[in-house]
Amino acid sequence: METADKLEILADAAKYDVACTSSGVNRGAVFGQLGSASSAGCCHSFTPDGRCITLLKVLMTNVCIYDCAYCVNRASNDVPRAAFTPRELADLTIAFYRRNCIEGLFLSSGVIGNPDQTSELMARTLRILRYDYGFRGYLHAKAVPGTSPELINELGQLADRLSVNMELPSHQSLALLAPQKSKQNIVAPMRQIRDTIATDRDVRALMGKNTVYGTSVQTRHKQAPFAPAGQSTQMIIGATPESDYHVLNLSAALYRTMSMKRVFFSAYVPVNSDPRLPSNDAMQLNREHRLYQADWLLRFYKFDVTEIIDESHPFLETDIDPKANWALNHLDLFPVEVNAAPYAMLLRVPGIGVKGARSIIAARRQRKLGEDELRKLGIAFKRAKFFITCNGTYAAPGIDFSRDVLHAQLSAPINGGRHGRRADKAIPGQMSLFESVDTPEKLRARGLQPGQNTPNAAPLTSYAPRSCTTSDWNRLLEAS
Amino acid sequence: MTRIKTKLTPNIDNSRNTATNATCGDKRANQVCTAPRIPDVIERRRILGEMIEPSPSVQTMECGSDAQSDTVSSHASASKVAYTYDGTLEGLLSCVFAAYANREDPADIMPADSFQPRLGQAVRSISTDLTRAERVRVGVCRNCGPAGFAAVRTASLSDNPTMSMTVYRFIRHGMAQNRPHSCAGCKRQRSCSGTGEGNLGLCSNSAQPSTLNDLSHPAVAGVRKLVREATCEAERMRQFIRFEHMDNGVWFARCNPKASVVPLIMSHFAARFNTQPFIIYDETHHLAGVSENGTWQLVRTDEITLPGYAPDEAPMRRAWKRFYDSVSVESRYHPELQRQFMPMRLWKNITEMQEALPRAVRASEQQYIGTSAHDALSADRLNQTDLTPVQSKGGMKLSLAASPTCQ
Repeated sequence: METADKLEILADAAKYDVACTSSGVNRGAVFGQLGSASSAGCCHSFTPDGRCITLLKVLMTNVCIYDCAYCVNRASNDVPRAAFTPRELADLTIAFYRRNCIEGLFLSSGVIGNPDQTSELMARTLRILRYDYGFRGYLHAKAVPGTSPELINELGQLADRLSVNMELPSHQSLALLAPQKSKQNIVAPMRQIRDTIATDRDVRALMGKNTVYGTSVQTRHKQAPFAPAGQSTQMIIGATPESDYHVLNLSAALYRTMSMKRVFFSAYVPVNSDPRLPSNDAMQLNREHRLYQADWLLRFYKFDVTEIIDESHPFLETDIDPKANWALNHLDLFPVEVNAAPYAMLLRVPGIGVKGARSIIAARRQRKLGEDELRKLGIAFKRAKFFITCNGTYAAPGIDFSRDVLHAQLSAPINGGRHGRRADKAIPGQMSLFESVDTPEKLRARGLQPGQNTPNAAPLTSYAPRSCTTSDWNRLLEAS
Repeated sequence: MTRIKTKLTPNIDNSRNTATNATCGDKRANQVCTAPRIPDVIERRRILGEMIEPSPSVQTMECGSDAQSDTVSSHASASKVAYTYDGTLEGLLSCVFAAYANREDPADIMPADSFQPRLGQAVRSISTDLTRAERVRVGVCRNCGPAGFAAVRTASLSDNPTMSMTVYRFIRHGMAQNRPHSCAGCKRQRSCSGTGEGNLGLCSNSAQPSTLNDLSHPAVAGVRKLVREATCEAERMRQFIRFEHMDNGVWFARCNPKASVVPLIMSHFAARFNTQPFIIYDETHHLAGVSENGTWQLVRTDEITLPGYAPDEAPMRRAWKRFYDSVSVESRYHPELQRQFMPMRLWKNITEMQEALPRAVRASEQQYIGTSAHDALSADRLNQTDLTPVQSKGGMKLSLAASPTCQ
């Protein structure tokens, strides 16, 4: 098989992995070596689904011994299988990098043989890149659950970011859909990565300050830092009945206890027909969108998860974003005076973001801000005006400052485009009339071309949502 | 009258080259910025003298009538005067100087090639004078701080037709305010994009009561907007430039940005790809950045001669296209979002957005049938080429085919 054929198969197999970022590490260029990395990252292309290509996202191999219900590469699926040799993949990465097509390599893999064998193959690829080619670009490696700690240590020395996939937001779902994976196997490498990063950072800080006395100790100074861009994880949304309340609490716990850089959400794409999976094909793309908005509030806007969502309303509002929703629930705090409000309060105004709040702080040192000035600062004045006063006058005169009126003003459907799946009028998540609907991905997994007529799929047993109140993941995370 | 320079029209080529030098962050120039020289008494007298005398470097003509230049300079009402210049930053700074020297407030400042006079407007073509431009630069550094001048410099790269006027208004406003943006002692100096090598004029230190931080003032907001446009375009170029591997080991990229951002992106690419000689050619502004061994220079060029493609170019392009086509998730199809992030005007220079391989790439592939594509990746093959910009009669011509190929 030619390299390009392998590339096509293994890129196709890796595309459902949502995490694709090249951010978090600043590594300057060195004369004579190829590559550099900047902490902001860089997206090099955008696919027709609007997602970015920043790294060469491929699997080492799509051969897998596991049989997870949701996964396109599961052992029971009849899909073409391929595997890269480490040298082949490293050459390909360098060739694309030199063309400025990518920032680096995102290496994941199906489990071939056992987790250690898989990780060893991945480590070999990264070693060729780092040591043979002297590559200074971005490398992201997946830590396969069940890998031995020594191999994870080695991967961490080579890669910039490690990730362990959480896969599903609850223990029961994991047991149902991915019975061969256990939560201990997933949390153990996460803990190890967190601890090693922390130790590595402390050691480096001490070495840098020359506070270690006694020179006989061999320092780790020359060694590469351990996963300098931290670790991330991802979970599938919509394949199992967990609520947003559950998902957001879990991700907040991950940020708190595992020092995650990112928690990614991936709306479940139906690729397999399986009785354990929901039979309708409504992808919860809008739900994913709202979850990311809530995630941003957690990470950049200093919101606590209890402010975003509570147990009595376990799902985020669909027609209004979480920040506006919070503002509507706390109208007693508004309107705020832009010329006097502290930074933390400005951040909470819908329509004012991190940059906008900083600009306001800078600009108001010099002159009083009115509507004209605010519009020049690049904030979404159209939304912010309902919640601010400029020099004591309400910025949206004639608007009744009440919850219902403001809700009507702020509610905006998510722009899902005019062509894709979200363009149609069907409410996301509604049950389909037909028991099972074919998606292009499902057809391909069965070896058919999209558009080809298929024999009626056998009606699948409907999936009964179970209530899921206990948060076993959370308990496990807090225990560490 | 001894102070007036007799040579009024410098060689176009020279001025263009110096313009690009100043734009790309000349180290020496930055040092002068940080320690502005205060003019001595004699020099002050000289400046005053020049300001009183109408400068002979200003050639005036009135549109629609043939009025005397001196009478126009002293009597023309402010809204009726327009300045034209050669399109360089130095030319623009010379215009600013002329506006002060002539004590007038021009209604329009435009590059001469895109200027259309209004009815009854007096047009002055301001010739570029490097010493005057330098004096304006020093003045801006003194009254607005080095970050203020960096903002001017970045903004001047923009293609926006109102750019010259916006920058002029900002300089006037900054000179009158005299609240410099000082970067001395700032803790964020090393990480900030307002200072240092990649000096863009976007300082993150908002605590200073400087002119540059007066974000909501119309004069400042305009320049900030231009700076933002230029830096956004530079970021897009960093994302979407695609290098092609040429037969002689040079990597070549073509781009069509909305602002002349090649000076802003060259240091990024020169550092990252210091192991490969490369050229980035801006086909809209006819400007090429040439880099080898981590150093780079800018060359004005009107045409570019390319050698054939390397043997690995066609297979690698095909592989990248196949990768691109297979990573898209069909169920999430959302072309509007794609176009929002990757504007269609840039697609013609993005490899994966072309349906088929260009004919030139396919033709060059025919030569190499039977050879392994990976041979071309060996490091020693790439490091043996040298690039020599060739000076020719009609401006700079960049010849890649002339450089010795390595076998």
